[in-house]
Amino acid sequence: MSTTKRDMREVMRDEMIMRDRILAILKEENKTVPEIAEAIGVPEYETVYWMMAMRRYGMVEEVGRPDIDGYFKYEFREQEEEGHE
Amino acid sequence: MSDKNDMDYDVMVVGAGTAGMEASLSLGDMGYNVLLVEKDPSIGGRTILLSKVFPTLDCASCISTPKMAQSLHHPNITLMTYSEVDAVTKNADGTFHVNMHKKPTYVDQTTCTGCGQCESVCTVPIPDEYNYNMIARRAAHIPFPQAIPKKAVISRSAQPPCTHTCPAGVKPSGFVSLVRAGKYEEGFKLHLADAPLVGSLSRACYAPCEGECTRDEMEGSVNIRAIKRFMVDWYYDRHPEPDYGPVETQLDSKVAIIGSGPGGLTAAFHLAKQGHQVTVYEAEPQAGGMLRHGMPAYRMPKSLLDRDIKNITALGVEIKTNTTVESISSLKEAGYDAVFVGVGNQNPRIIPITGNDLTDMTDCMNFLRETNVGEELPDIEDKDFVVLGGGNVALDVARAAVRMGTKSVSIVCLEEQDKMPALDFEVREALEEGITIYAGVSTKRIFKDESGKSKLEVLKVDKIDFDENGRMTGFSTAEGTEQQIDADVVVMAVGLSPSTIPFEDELALNGNKTIPVNAQTLQTADPMVFAGGDAVLGPSIIVEAMGQGRKAAFYIDRMLKGESLEVGFETELEMADKDEIVSCSSKCSTVAPTALRELEPHKRIQSFEAYEETMTESEARDSANRCLGCGDCSQCRECVNVCPGDCINFDMSPDNLEMTVGSVIISTGYEILDPAGKELMGYGKYPNVISGPQMDRLLAPTRPYNGVLRPSDGKEPESIAIVLCNGSRDHTVCNPLCCRIGCMYSAKHAQLVMGALPMADVTIYYIDFRAFGKGYDEFYEQSKGMGVEYTKGKVARIDEIEGGNLKLHYEDMEGEGGLKEAEHDMVVLTVGFLPNLESLKIFKGSELEADEFAYIKEPDATSEPGRTNIEGLFAAGTVIGARDIPDTVLHACASSAQAAGYVQKMRKA
Repeated sequence: MSTTKRDMREVMRDEMIMRDRILAILKEENKTVPEIAEAIGVPEYETVYWMMAMRRYGMVEEVGRPDIDGYFKYEFREQEEEGHE
Repeated sequence: MSDKNDMDYDVMVVGAGTAGMEASLSLGDMGYNVLLVEKDPSIGGRTILLSKVFPTLDCASCISTPKMAQSLHHPNITLMTYSEVDAVTKNADGTFHVNMHKKPTYVDQTTCTGCGQCESVCTVPIPDEYNYNMIARRAAHIPFPQAIPKKAVISRSAQPPCTHTCPAGVKPSGFVSLVRAGKYEEGFKLHLADAPLVGSLSRACYAPCEGECTRDEMEGSVNIRAIKRFMVDWYYDRHPEPDYGPVETQLDSKVAIIGSGPGGLTAAFHLAKQGHQVTVYEAEPQAGGMLRHGMPAYRMPKSLLDRDIKNITALGVEIKTNTTVESISSLKEAGYDAVFVGVGNQNPRIIPITGNDLTDMTDCMNFLRETNVGEELPDIEDKDFVVLGGGNVALDVARAAVRMGTKSVSIVCLEEQDKMPALDFEVREALEEGITIYAGVSTKRIFKDESGKSKLEVLKVDKIDFDENGRMTGFSTAEGTEQQIDADVVVMAVGLSPSTIPFEDELALNGNKTIPVNAQTLQTADPMVFAGGDAVLGPSIIVEAMGQGRKAAFYIDRMLKGESLEVGFETELEMADKDEIVSCSSKCSTVAPTALRELEPHKRIQSFEAYEETMTESEARDSANRCLGCGDCSQCRECVNVCPGDCINFDMSPDNLEMTVGSVIISTGYEILDPAGKELMGYGKYPNVISGPQMDRLLAPTRPYNGVLRPSDGKEPESIAIVLCNGSRDHTVCNPLCCRIGCMYSAKHAQLVMGALPMADVTIYYIDFRAFGKGYDEFYEQSKGMGVEYTKGKVARIDEIEGGNLKLHYEDMEGEGGLKEAEHDMVVLTVGFLPNLESLKIFKGSELEADEFAYIKEPDATSEPGRTNIEGLFAAGTVIGARDIPDTVLHACASSAQAAGYVQKMRKA
């Protein structure tokens, strides 16, 4: 059951390539962290790093209260300046 | 005060946490001039990062921020943040001499408004130490929302090796970071700002950056050139023409550039950007120099070069082709104010060979010019083709010839194959394409055999002599080792010399025909003439020539504006320590470089088409993501582009300061034990095992997450365990001391969690619970009353189970006793204090004594709190031992009184 955790700095760097994939998913539908992780096939704990950093910099936002299992859904938040294509 | 004894300040306080601020404010209120020094960008220490404080549950920010603001604005306090004290020594008169340095923030602290736009666009995520690494911040950052001063700082510890290495001043770390972030246009423009021939470099650069890439010490370098190729292709596909024109402010000054190779074009680009009127003179019918005439199209597509050149002409640069400049004086007469000579290295060296009239013989430049820009390709079909030379030009000739239907292509060179001057990959690819290399041989003669077939006879070289610079000075051959090679055509590629002969008299050339220049400014003996590229360096690579063009443009611009040339070209940080980065990256995944798709050798020799495919977008971004981020800031300059106050300044350097102070108070605080050292507790291994300070951040108003959530999956925990005494009262980590606050801040966490998550169960595992201060026991009882469960038991091990939950194995010290297990879905480890060993290093000259636990020693804590063994040097707060906030404040006041007394006594002495 033990998780082999990747280097934290490496995981955090991944945010820069993962965020477009995450945003693409959230543009379709609001999702929880486990749902996002499943959709892109990555570990949930790494997704937490990316989602929270994206939330910090205004790309995503939680929606309402957590569901019955304790998970928030997150939504895409429109940016003034978007990346290219 | 501080007008006696020539003191700069009455007291210097080192460390602006709770104790440092309190001591400074006390002294300031007493009228003393105080210098408050803080190593971090913001003051406030650890208290400002807390959620609330016990036992009052007052907001930590509400307590700290008034003190922080007072410290900043107090008329008697000078605050120096992001500064470090290097050494304190005591003077004979009882004052102290201080050496310190102010670290570069790379943001003008006087004009930054703390708007945060820089961090919102920064492409470099790094762990946020102010949130105990629970979330990423950016290299450009404001430490935290309540930071004082609230100014941005850029984390930039060293120059990334790739950027440090590029002779052209290109910032690979920057555009790689931008490509990773999907900002391809920004990446292209970053490159363009330094070097305009972006497309050419994406194909033909030998990429010294890749040779220095730290990742090369692991699985292989980041594919920097291939990433650039993707970026350029992406940009040029969408921008067939430049999207800019000449700069608005055009100057009257006129500059002539002789030669349109990489150096000349780069100089023209940078000069035109400064508003000078630039004309480039090119003797050939088309611009581009060696890129156009010397490099075969499979390596340097000419349409790409044409597009690159538009980057320069769009600025209004005029390129006059078919125009040979006969003399510098003719340009002066034509009214030019400055000249850059970038004529390159296109004069082929010819060596005499007996019988050279018995075959079709030419030189490399003729052959390549005819191949690259001639109306027809050279007629060498079905010929036995021989190239003399072992450098990159020889390889270009041979590899071009093999694409023209030759019967055979051979390379003949003096050096052994592993010593050939050509790059290894060129040699490898040449062999793959069927080229035969006769290495370690010398030409003897050319003759015709009985059938009339031309043959080249070679001899084995048995010895080559080199000078101290590694240049060949001579060789000898072994008689009797003759070998004959079919040679219908022989092309000589044994060296090129600068095309500087027309200027021999005016510029007093060196013996090898290069132009002598000032190494710093590239100015020749004639002050209005500058030179660079191969004309100065001799044979060099494209980026070296471009670097010289850029540098010359910098100094030409200064000269034309009447500014001194006695200035450095660029401020550069030291290169990042690759060994250190590799050792810090030991847990990184093994990700091999992306394999570049190339045509098979037998297919690629069918044409002059490029045989290397451009990466896909995802390949480029994944490849860019292999970058280890050496030195943190990548210099992508996104912050520069958005900063509304033009505050970003990458030329900042450390500011070393010296001063005299009357007294010193050290208040550098404590260290927090890293619970990863207690492996059985699972910290650093299981995401849902966090430390006490991390829980404080989750509970703080400025928390990293949107609530108290599990790091493993973002779920609100239903059952939280708080485990006390991890690394305090613990001989396994050599820390026998009680942390004095763990019990109480755990009770605080429990109460705050129950407020944030009303449905959650909280259990505190303790050995014994110490609630010794005023109101502490009541606080403890209050938590019990709220439903916090207290279990007297020593936790021995934590395992992760299904769903990220955690199983605690503990010894039940009450009830039935024995070993028990409990399941929780999140665990908080209350961690111990450790002494700050750095505090002991500040004072030089004699030893600042430490107690048996390595805290600064107070010889008489009862009657003279804060005094150390150095008279006049005091300690305040947790630097002398663990304590809570009220005790820290009290101790700081005592230390400030001691310091005031010392300064007064010294004045009266």
